[in-house]
Amino acid sequence: MAMKIPRLLQAALVLIGVYVGFIVVFDVLLQAIIPSSLLAMYMFFVTAGVFMVFTYDEEGTRELVAPIKALVEDPSKRLIRNIVFVIVPLAAGAATYFQMQPSFEAPVELRTIHPAPPTTAKIYGKQVNLLKLENPFRELEKEDPDQFRELVDEGAAVYIRNCQFCHGDKLDGNGPYAAGLNPTPLNFQDVGTIAQLQESYLFWRISTGGPGLPKEAAPWISSMPVWQDFLTEDEIWKVILYLYDYTGHEPRSWEHE
Amino acid sequence: MNRSRSNKFRQALIVLALAVVTVALAFLVFDQVNAIAAEQDVAAETAATGNYGPAPKLTAADYPTIAGVNSRVAVWIFAQLHLWFAAFVLAVPIFVFIIEAIGMRTRDKRYDDMAYEFIKVSITAYSLTAVLGGLLLFSLIVFYPQLFTYMARIFKGSMFYYALLFFVESAALYIYYYGWHWLQGGFKKWVHLTIGLVLNAAGTTLMLLANAWLTFMMSPAGVDPAGVFNGDAWAAINNFLWNPINIHRFVANIAYGGSIVGAYAAFKFLTAGTQQERAHYDWMGYNANFIAICALLPLPFAGYYLAAEIYAYSQQMGITLMGGIFAWLFIIQAVLIGTLFLSANYYLWCGMGRSDGARRYTKYIKYLAIVLVGAFLVWFTPHTLVLTNEELKSLGGPYHKILGPLGIMPAKNTAVNVMIIFTALSFMFYRRANKTATVSWVNAGNAIQVALYTAGIANIMFLGIYHGYFTNTVYKVAASIPQVLTTLVVIAASITLDSFIYRRSTDVGPVHWGRIPARAQYALFLLAVAFTWLMGLMGYIRSGIRQHWHIVDIMRDTSPDAFTPTLGYAANVVSVAAILFMAMVIFVFWIAQVSTSKTLPAGYWKEG
Amino acid sequence: MRQFLSVVAFTLITIGCFTAYSNYGIPQIEPAPPPKEEKLDLGSMTMDQFVALGERLFNGKGTCTLCHNSLGRAPLLDTLGDVTPGRLGDARYEGEAGNVEEYLIESLVEPSAFVVEGFGKKGTNDTESPMPDVSGGGISLSEAEILAVVAYLQERGGSEVTVEIPTDVGEGDEDEEEEEELEPREAVSDPKLLVSMFMCDACHMIDGEGGDIGPDLSGIGAARDRAYLRRAILDPNADITEGFEPDQMPEDMAEQMYVSELEILVDFLAENK
Repeated sequence: MAMKIPRLLQAALVLIGVYVGFIVVFDVLLQAIIPSSLLAMYMFFVTAGVFMVFTYDEEGTRELVAPIKALVEDPSKRLIRNIVFVIVPLAAGAATYFQMQPSFEAPVELRTIHPAPPTTAKIYGKQVNLLKLENPFRELEKEDPDQFRELVDEGAAVYIRNCQFCHGDKLDGNGPYAAGLNPTPLNFQDVGTIAQLQESYLFWRISTGGPGLPKEAAPWISSMPVWQDFLTEDEIWKVILYLYDYTGHEPRSWEHE
Repeated sequence: MNRSRSNKFRQALIVLALAVVTVALAFLVFDQVNAIAAEQDVAAETAATGNYGPAPKLTAADYPTIAGVNSRVAVWIFAQLHLWFAAFVLAVPIFVFIIEAIGMRTRDKRYDDMAYEFIKVSITAYSLTAVLGGLLLFSLIVFYPQLFTYMARIFKGSMFYYALLFFVESAALYIYYYGWHWLQGGFKKWVHLTIGLVLNAAGTTLMLLANAWLTFMMSPAGVDPAGVFNGDAWAAINNFLWNPINIHRFVANIAYGGSIVGAYAAFKFLTAGTQQERAHYDWMGYNANFIAICALLPLPFAGYYLAAEIYAYSQQMGITLMGGIFAWLFIIQAVLIGTLFLSANYYLWCGMGRSDGARRYTKYIKYLAIVLVGAFLVWFTPHTLVLTNEELKSLGGPYHKILGPLGIMPAKNTAVNVMIIFTALSFMFYRRANKTATVSWVNAGNAIQVALYTAGIANIMFLGIYHGYFTNTVYKVAASIPQVLTTLVVIAASITLDSFIYRRSTDVGPVHWGRIPARAQYALFLLAVAFTWLMGLMGYIRSGIRQHWHIVDIMRDTSPDAFTPTLGYAANVVSVAAILFMAMVIFVFWIAQVSTSKTLPAGYWKEG
Repeated sequence: MRQFLSVVAFTLITIGCFTAYSNYGIPQIEPAPPPKEEKLDLGSMTMDQFVALGERLFNGKGTCTLCHNSLGRAPLLDTLGDVTPGRLGDARYEGEAGNVEEYLIESLVEPSAFVVEGFGKKGTNDTESPMPDVSGGGISLSEAEILAVVAYLQERGGSEVTVEIPTDVGEGDEDEEEEEELEPREAVSDPKLLVSMFMCDACHMIDGEGGDIGPDLSGIGAARDRAYLRRAILDPNADITEGFEPDQMPEDMAEQMYVSELEILVDFLAENK
C-alpha cells in the first residue's frame, strides 16, 4: 500500500497544482497569459475552497492542523520550530520589500475602454442625441439588400483607406502600425467589443476619437483620430456597416426584433 | 365544571372583541377608501387649477450646512441603518409566522419555542428601527428641506397611512410577542396566529409604501416633466420600478432576516454552557441558514428582473448601472455573493457531521466544491482586466481571448445558475445524509436524479455557450430566462422526486444536534456580515444611479454633494455603517439575553 | 468573553477585507462630475467656438433676444458693423470708446452711453436706455462671457472680429466660480429689491412702472393665486396670458433665485391686490 500523503501536504499540493495549472493552461497551452491581478484573486478563492473541503469535518481538520500544532507545541521539534519562526518573518519581510521596491515598470493604468456615452454629443457641428441616433442605412439591410451590399462595399473601401493601418485588414486590431501603439487598437472580432455596443456608440467613438473621450475614460492615451475632421457622416455610417458585416456581429439593439 | 365554563366565557369574550375590532377596521378601511376617492376628486380638481407647483429648481444655498456635518453621508448612514433594521424586523415575523404554523401542524413544541425566540430577538430591533427611521426623517428635513417638502406634497396621503399602519404594526407586534404564552392552545393559538398575520400584513404594506417613495425618485410617475403633480397618488405610488423593487426587497429581506438570526444562534451556540443548549442553538442556526438559503436561491433572478426593468425604464440609467462607472461595483458584488454561497454551502457540509449516515455522501463534497469554486471564478472574472504593461504587450491588447467572453452576461448567468443548482445539490445530500430509502425503485430513482441534474446542467451550459459566442447581444440577455427556468425545474423536480424516494424511509440513527464544529458557526457569521455589507453596497448603487438627480429628470441635486463618489468612498461609508449596525445588533442580542437572567443579591432585600 | 471578542474580531476583519478589496482590489474610477451649464474652458477654444459660445449666451443666459428681436423693442443688431463707426462721432455719444470693440463692450455694461433714437425709456428723450447692465443683476455675465457676446455680435454684424480670446481670464474665472460656490450670496428679503435685481420690471409693469413685454403685474394678486404665480415663475410657458408671446420670459429665472426669495416674490405679488 502506498504511503498516505499527510493532509497538510495534500492541501498545499492542490494549491500549487492549481496555481501551476493556471499558468500552464493559459501561458503555455492557450498562449494567452493570465493577468497577475486576476490570478491572485483566483488563488484567493481557490484557497478558500480548499480550506472548505479540508476542514468540513472534525477528523479531517485535526489531521490537517496536527503538523502545525506539533510544530508549535511538540518539545522534540524545537530546532525546526526555531528555524521556521526565523524564516517566516524574514520571508514576509522580503516579500514586502520586493513588493514595495520601486521598479522601472510603468504604473498600471486602467482605462475604461467603453465608457458610458453622454446623452448628447456635438458631432459635425450638430447636437446629436446618442440614445435615439440610428444608422440611416441599417434599414436597407432588409428593404434593399443589393443597395445595402453596395454600401457595405463602399464602407470596406473607406476602411481599407483609413482604418486598416491600425485595426488590421482582418479587423482583429493587428494592423501594420498596431505594434507601435499603446493601448493597442481594438479587435473588432472579439465578442466583447462592437458586439456589445450600439451603432450610435460606434458613431460617437469614431467621429470624436480619442480626444472626445469623457472624463471617466482617463487617461486619454487613445491615438484614435477625430474622424469627423476627415470623413463625411455617410462614410462613417458605411464603415460601421462594414465592421458588423465583416465580423458577423450584430449591433446591440434595445428591442427584440 | 365551573372552570371550563369560565374558560368558554372568556373565549366568547375574545371572539366578540375580535369581531368588534374587525368590523371597526372594516368600517375604517371603507371610510378611508371613500376618503381617498373623495380626496382624489378634489385633487384632480385642484390639479386642474394648478394647485401642485412644479418641482423647485434648487441652488447650492438651498441646502443647509449644519456644524460641518456632511449631509449626504449623514442621510446615507441613517437611511442604511434604518433599512437594515427594517429588513430584519419585517422578515422575522414572516418566518416566525410560518414556523409557528408548522409548529401548530406538527405539534412539535420546539418550533414554537424557536419562533418565540426569533421574535424575542427582533423586538428590541423593532424600537431601534423606529428610532432610526425618526433620525432619517429628521436628517432629511434638516439637510434636504426642499426635497422633503416636494415629496411630502405628493405623498402626504401615503405618509399619513404609513404612520397609521405603524401603530397597527406596533400594536400587533406587542400583542403577538407579549401574548405568546398567554395565547396558547386550541382556539387561542389560532387567535395568536391571526395576530401574526395582521402583523405581517401591516409590516409588508409599510415596506411597499416606503418603496413607492424611493422608486418615485428613480422613475417618477404622475408628474409632468416640470414636476407638476397631477393629483393621482396611485400613479405616483405605482411607478415603473415599484414592483420590481418590491419583489427584490421582499425576497432579500427574508434571506437577510434568516442570516441575522443565524448569527444570533451561532453566537448563542458558541457561548452555550450545556450540551442541551448547544443542541438547541445548533438546531436554530440550521433552520436560520435554511431560511436564508431558500430565499437566497431565487434572489439573483429577482435582481435580474429589477436590472432588466431599470434598462426598460431608461437606457441611460441601465448603461450607468451595468456598463459605466458602476461596472466594477458588480465585481465587488460578485465577490460578496460568492462568499454567501460558499459559506452557506460550507455550513451545510459541516452540518453533515451531525448524522452518522453522512459518510455515504461526504466523498462528493470535493466535487461540489470544485464546481462551486469554478463557477464562482467565472462569475467573478471582470469584463475589463487590470493588466500591467508587460501583460498588455504580451496579450496584444486589453482584450483576453479566453477570459474576455467570461466577462459578459451569458457566462455569468451560466455560472450563477450552476452555483444555485449545486447549492441545491449540497442541500439534497444533507437531507439524505441521515436517511435510508426503503422503496424498491431506489436505484432507478437515483438514476433519474442523476439524469435530471446532468440534463439541467448541460442545458444551462449549452444555452450559455451558444448565446455567449454565437448570437448577438439582445439574445445574450434573453438567454437568462430559459436558464433560470431550467434551474427552477431541476430543483423543483429533484425535491419532489426525493420526497417520493424517501417516503417511509428509515433513519440511520439519531441526529446529533450540537455535533458541529465552531468553524461552522463562523460561516454563519460570515453569511450575516457579507449579507449586511452587500445590502449596503447594493443600496448605494440603487440610489447612486440617479447620479445628480434627487428625482430623476424632475428635480436636480445641486448640493455640493451631488457628485457620484468613487467605489472606494462608497465602500468606506458602507463599512462604517455596517460596523455601527453590527454594534447595535450585538446590543440587541445582549438585551435579549439580559432579559432572561436573574440575579439574587444576598442581603439586599429585607428578609421576611 | 473570549468568544465574544473573537466574534467581534472576525466581523471587523471580514468588513475590513471587503473595504480593502473595494479600495485597492479594483480600480478607482472617478465618475464625471454633474454637468455644469456653460462651463468655460477658454484655454482650448478656437475663435469659432468662442463665437458659438457668444451666440449661446446671446440667446440663453444673456436674455438679449427678449428685446433685440423682430418685435422692435430694441434695435436689431444685424448692421452693427456699418453703423457703429458713425456712433463714435455722434454728438449724443457720451462714452469713452475708441473703437468698435470698446464701443460694444461699453454698450453692454453701460447701455445709456448711447441710446439709439426711439429706443430710450419713455419720457427721457432717448437719454436713458431701458437695457440693464449685463454684468450685474440677474444676468451676471462674466468678463469673458461679455467678450464672447461681443465676438458674436461682431461676426453677426458683418464687421471683423477683433476680440481676442482672453487667456489669463480662463484660470481666474474658474476660481471666481468656485469662490461663488463657497460663499453664496446672501438671500434678499426685500421684494422690491428682488424685482429690480431680477429685472422683472424690464418686461412687466409693477405698480405703474416697467416694461410692457409681459403682463401687467400691478394688482395681479386680485386675479391670480399663489400657486399660479409660483408656477408662472418656475415654468413661465406653462400658461401664457392672452395677447402675449410665449418664450419671452427666461426659463431659468427660478434657478437664479433662492427658494426663499421665490416665496417672498410670490407673496409680494399675491398681496399686490
